[in-house]
Amino acid sequence: MEAPLNAGFAFQGIVIFLAAPLAAGVLRKLKAVLQNRLGAPVVQPYRDLRKLLGKEEVVSGTASGLFRVAPYVVFAATAGACSLVPVVLARMATAGGAWGDLVVLVGLLALGRFALALGALEAGSAFGGMGSSREMMVSSLAEPALLTALFVAALEARTSEAGRIAAHVARTGGAAFGPGSAFALAALFLVALAECGRLPVDNPSTHLELTMIHEAMILEYSGRSLALIEWASQARLLLFMTLLVDLFLPWGIALDASAAALALGAAVYALKIAGLCAVLAFAETSTAKLRLFRVPDFLGAAFVLALIGLFSQGFIQWGL
Amino acid sequence: MDSKEFPLDALPAACASMVRGEGARLAAALALDERRRDGGFSLRYVFSVPAKRSYVELRGRIPAGAAAFPSSAALVPAAHAFEREIREFFGLDPQGHPDPRNLLLHEDWPEAVHPLRKEFSWNAKTRREAGREFPFLKVTGEGVFEIPVGPVHAGVIEPGHFRFSVAGEPVVNLEVRLGYVHRGLEKLFEGRLALAAAALAERISGDNSIAHALAYCRAVEDLAGRTPPPRAQALRAILLELERLYNHAGDVAGIAADTGFVFGGAQMLILRERLLRENERLSGRRLLRGWLEPGGLARDAAPGSLETLAAALESCEADYREIEKLILGADSLMDRVVGAGVLDRRVAVDLGGVGPAARASGVDGDLRRDHPVGLEAELGFQPALRREGDVRARMLVRMEEIAESFRVLRALQARMPDGPWTVPINGVGPGEGVGWAESSRGEVLHWLRAGPDGTIERLKIKDPSFSNWPLVPWAVQGDIVPDFPLINKSFGLSYAGHDR
Repeated sequence: MEAPLNAGFAFQGIVIFLAAPLAAGVLRKLKAVLQNRLGAPVVQPYRDLRKLLGKEEVVSGTASGLFRVAPYVVFAATAGACSLVPVVLARMATAGGAWGDLVVLVGLLALGRFALALGALEAGSAFGGMGSSREMMVSSLAEPALLTALFVAALEARTSEAGRIAAHVARTGGAAFGPGSAFALAALFLVALAECGRLPVDNPSTHLELTMIHEAMILEYSGRSLALIEWASQARLLLFMTLLVDLFLPWGIALDASAAALALGAAVYALKIAGLCAVLAFAETSTAKLRLFRVPDFLGAAFVLALIGLFSQGFIQWGL
Repeated sequence: MDSKEFPLDALPAACASMVRGEGARLAAALALDERRRDGGFSLRYVFSVPAKRSYVELRGRIPAGAAAFPSSAALVPAAHAFEREIREFFGLDPQGHPDPRNLLLHEDWPEAVHPLRKEFSWNAKTRREAGREFPFLKVTGEGVFEIPVGPVHAGVIEPGHFRFSVAGEPVVNLEVRLGYVHRGLEKLFEGRLALAAAALAERISGDNSIAHALAYCRAVEDLAGRTPPPRAQALRAILLELERLYNHAGDVAGIAADTGFVFGGAQMLILRERLLRENERLSGRRLLRGWLEPGGLARDAAPGSLETLAAALESCEADYREIEKLILGADSLMDRVVGAGVLDRRVAVDLGGVGPAARASGVDGDLRRDHPVGLEAELGFQPALRREGDVRARMLVRMEEIAESFRVLRALQARMPDGPWTVPINGVGPGEGVGWAESSRGEVLHWLRAGPDGTIERLKIKDPSFSNWPLVPWAVQGDIVPDFPLINKSFGLSYAGHDR
């Protein structure tokens, strides 16, 4: 029972990678429609990836091997992080053994970001360094808020494994979604915007190189390396969306590996992600980007929300 | 235009007393190669004197054999860029100029070749030289870095090189290097028939086609001493406002989009597109080209087309009111634009800033009111004016001007004169003439000299961007690097117009 269940759980990470370009395409399409534009077809990101994978790479003369290795590290670390989260199947108690938990997940994401920031410095262009320094500033503020928000869910389920948290909440029902979870959900949403380089922290569709954060780091990448980075950041976005829906609102997720439960789990997951895409598209369309030095306030708010969530979760569980 | 001759050495002091004594603004400075006439060069400093509603010109002569003149830039900072230009294009040395580096001609251009001298032929091939580098200002200190940006950018925009010296994110110094789209237009005008060059004037800066063509036509009319009939004046005024409308709509859309507020930006772009289609319906051209010519217009408006335009503008104005509410009500957008890129009024005045950028810093000037031509005097233009000098002020000035343009267009259509739309001009020259127009970016000035055969001997083109590019580094200083694109966009300058 153990081995196939664990393998099946890890397989879900591949689902995230396969579906991530679609989610990105849907998000772009929704944004286009909200701006009265037609927009590209939702499968455009797949085509872009295929195109990039077939293209020649141009590497700056100043770059060392690190520049070439970084995209693979980013891709592998993101893939590892994706294999730790439940998508359509929660992780039951019957699936024995320990699985990487949320702290590992945050660590893997940090590893990917670190590699990318180093790679960006390699090309010797001013933008890479600018992007890296801004990315480090944002992530150093986002990570504490991220961990705190995740701990609220861990506290509720008394485990820090994402798969078991989803199983616990799905089985317990509405009682598992207390005020603490509501605060943490809000905090995680704000953090997800920062971590995935979305508005109002970073503008993924800008052409203004001086305002970029994530895009400034990858300006010098091309061909397969760029494809890997793009794909990993699309997966990262879907990963955060998955965390939002499956840690806090996992109802409908498959609790066993039967075909019917899996089919229902997949359908519910797709619906939730589509809903979240709509929320994100609306939020991104109706707001302007923050001034760079207001981003700490924004992430400070996320941290405070997460902290309030943690305290209220603690009060509810153990009383005063 | 009044013209006063001064001894060369007295010219800087005379320029300074124009600015300090009469509240004049240096609109342009130019040189003329007159060596074939009497062996020397002539210098002209053209001032706008709003109090007298006129332009005044100060002249100086550089005698045969000399190739230098005393610089006025130290006394009149607005002369700075003009004198740099005179130096590289005529080989005349502005003595005492604080910064005599090339402005438009780049390092590969041979130092001894001066394209606006008469011996340089417009189609001469010039061998480019390698090995020289432009000396940017070096800022040194702990933690000060340089960020070179451009001339090729990530987006499809005009080319310009920006050299930032930064301490962390705040900008210590910005140096703007332009000239990448210099096409030698002033040289190209020389030798053409003055009556037949309006089409070239439309191509100086694409989105200011009307303003440039209008200034050019007015310069020819000034030289020929003819006044276009009232109907031509009214139609020209309509075209000028239509050009302002679509440009301002595009600029406000650009500001919104640069902050990431795409929804407001998209709505404004839709409005801009509607206006461009109305332009096409009225004139056959989205940018309104091909209609102006010296003496009036090439043709009358088609029957009924003005009524169609009036109806369309009414609905555009209603749309604009909605978008205005949307944009002013977007707190996240307003938070970005307030206090960003403040341009001090003193700087704008000293450097001769014009147009919405200067009006947003409290410089009260608009050619439609200060130097009205014919019918313009009767329209009662009210320049939009703000004092804050930040991105928000520049955006609001444009938005107020959009509303004012709609009003002026209504007024013009209500009193559209009948009659001929052109006066015949049988010949021009020899002589000099000056023409101007308030474009969407500010003052366009054309200074024209024609020879006895009616061909152009010299055309000096002053695009408002030439006056306003020097303002940008001052507005950026102390702001952070990621705000630069927004600040730059709020000035909305033309690279092609600056470089010519």
